[in-house]
Amino acid sequence: MRKWPVYVALVLLAAVSVVPFLWMLATSVKHGPDIYTKVPSLLPLDRKTGAWSATLDNYRYVLDVGGLGRAFLNSVWVCAVLVPAKLLVDALAAYAFARIPFPGRDKLFVVMLSGMMVPAITLLVPRIHVTQALGMFDSGWGLIVPNIASVLDIFLLRQFFLSIPGELEEAALIDGAGRMQIFWRIVLPLSKPVLAVVTITSFLFHWNDLVWPLVVTNDPELYTLPLALQQLVASPDGGRAYYIMAGATLAVLPVIAVLLVFQRRILQGIAFTGLKG
Amino acid sequence: MGAPVLSRRARVAAGPGTRAHRRPSRRRRRDHLVGLLLVAPALVYFLVFLLYPALSALYYSFTDWNLRTDASWVGLANYADLLFDDVTYPHFWKSVRVTLQYTLLAVPLTLVTALAQALLLNTIRRGANLFRLLLFLPVVTAEAAVGAIWRWLYDPQYGLINALLGLAGIPGQNWLNTPELVIPALAFIAAWQCGISMIIYLAGLKGIPGAIREAAVIDGAGPWQRFWRVTFPMLRPTTFYLLVTGVIAALQVFGLVYVIFSGNGRSVTGGPEQSGLTYVLHLYLFAFRYDAMGAACAMSFILLVFIVIVTALQFRFVKQEAS
Repeated sequence: MRKWPVYVALVLLAAVSVVPFLWMLATSVKHGPDIYTKVPSLLPLDRKTGAWSATLDNYRYVLDVGGLGRAFLNSVWVCAVLVPAKLLVDALAAYAFARIPFPGRDKLFVVMLSGMMVPAITLLVPRIHVTQALGMFDSGWGLIVPNIASVLDIFLLRQFFLSIPGELEEAALIDGAGRMQIFWRIVLPLSKPVLAVVTITSFLFHWNDLVWPLVVTNDPELYTLPLALQQLVASPDGGRAYYIMAGATLAVLPVIAVLLVFQRRILQGIAFTGLKG
Repeated sequence: MGAPVLSRRARVAAGPGTRAHRRPSRRRRRDHLVGLLLVAPALVYFLVFLLYPALSALYYSFTDWNLRTDASWVGLANYADLLFDDVTYPHFWKSVRVTLQYTLLAVPLTLVTALAQALLLNTIRRGANLFRLLLFLPVVTAEAAVGAIWRWLYDPQYGLINALLGLAGIPGQNWLNTPELVIPALAFIAAWQCGISMIIYLAGLKGIPGAIREAAVIDGAGPWQRFWRVTFPMLRPTTFYLLVTGVIAALQVFGLVYVIFSGNGRSVTGGPEQSGLTYVLHLYLFAFRYDAMGAACAMSFILLVFIVIVTALQFRFVKQEAS
């Protein structure tokens, strides 16, 4: 079969998927008036002379006046605390569910799994209520603690731990190693692939998450990047696409960097996990 | 996956000679303790942020409640008002219609696009990784950024979409301000983000044994016939999985719509003439703008029941197809 029609089709489809990002990038470095041209340009050109005319002023504005600088740091901070803490909570539980016998273990696991069937939106309102009752509403803790574990991730990690040959651990047990030693020294080093998938998908989910920060914070000092971007869109600056696209670029670039570095792990992981944290 | 554990248990059960049998009970008691300790943080999370919210959402759906006052029991009033009282909830049924229209358009469009991409990718070797990466890009993008980008793409005067349509001689549209165009515009964004389905279809295609394809080629089947007689039927489990998860997700679409209609008070109405007022946006507004938490909980349970029914119907339909 001839290959070139396939390549033509793929180039077209890839263009549909990528051109919006290129346009975002171009708009974000244009001088304000230059975006209002009859024929949209994918390059930052002066609208009168057609000469190259790029600027970083839009970034300066959204980072400072638009509050996206603070929001960017908030997002980094939330992910830096939440992602490792969540991984630890999930991995410890998954290891116990996979390997350590205790009464009622398997029943408890099934009950927790059933929690995955409840749509997130059903839990949203009462979760806010609980967060408020715990005194964490509109605080940094409120962004982190209510997301501190994921049943799906516990399930994935447990499945992987079960596939590690038990003989290794039994030998270590006989040599007098404790459960925790086995977990740190044997199980975790053998589980790097699944730990990577869970870490990356969890980072992507929380870096991108809009809904939880939207409902749990009121104080603009606490806004995460997606929320601050949404607020910018809703503000009078929302019509100024050069600002908005600079903000969107700030939200998108770190994620594209992660995708480029970890593409194999992400795409493999997606095939059996989906992307939701 | 469970095999190693089973075989280990089998060995333990095999008889008194094994080490496990002679293991002192002190170790077993310590195991119980360690096991419970390791599970404890996840268990607390489960009880506090999953089980309790799920049960209390059900309770509060029978009450009149906002976050500042105590809930007062009103029985089925929330449910009855939502379904029948179009003075208190004038847009409830509108939001149901909007969500169903969106689901019926976005899910098939996403699946067809994803399948086409996967089929194309599956026929090439050189450059396949690069194309896969590029097609996947929209998926990892925050919905806040997706909404922002597409507001600009759909801009009636300076947007790229209308400029491209202009090249083809099609007059530009005011996409996000024309009630009839809002749902198609949103569905197009959903298809743009079909990367996850594409990856899963690709995995499904890799799972079709080459021998079956070769047999079809030898029998003289053309590409079209091969697709409809061999590939597509073999992909049925994948399609079914994507259909079920896609419908569940589409029925809950929220963040993107919220961003798209941000500003000028438009998110409060969900776009022109409520044409983008999806079910969950409607729910969000009642919970967090109009302070009607009890009604919002009732809405979330109506959605839960609806999702369960639709999913069960899909399973049943597929069973009949198969038999």
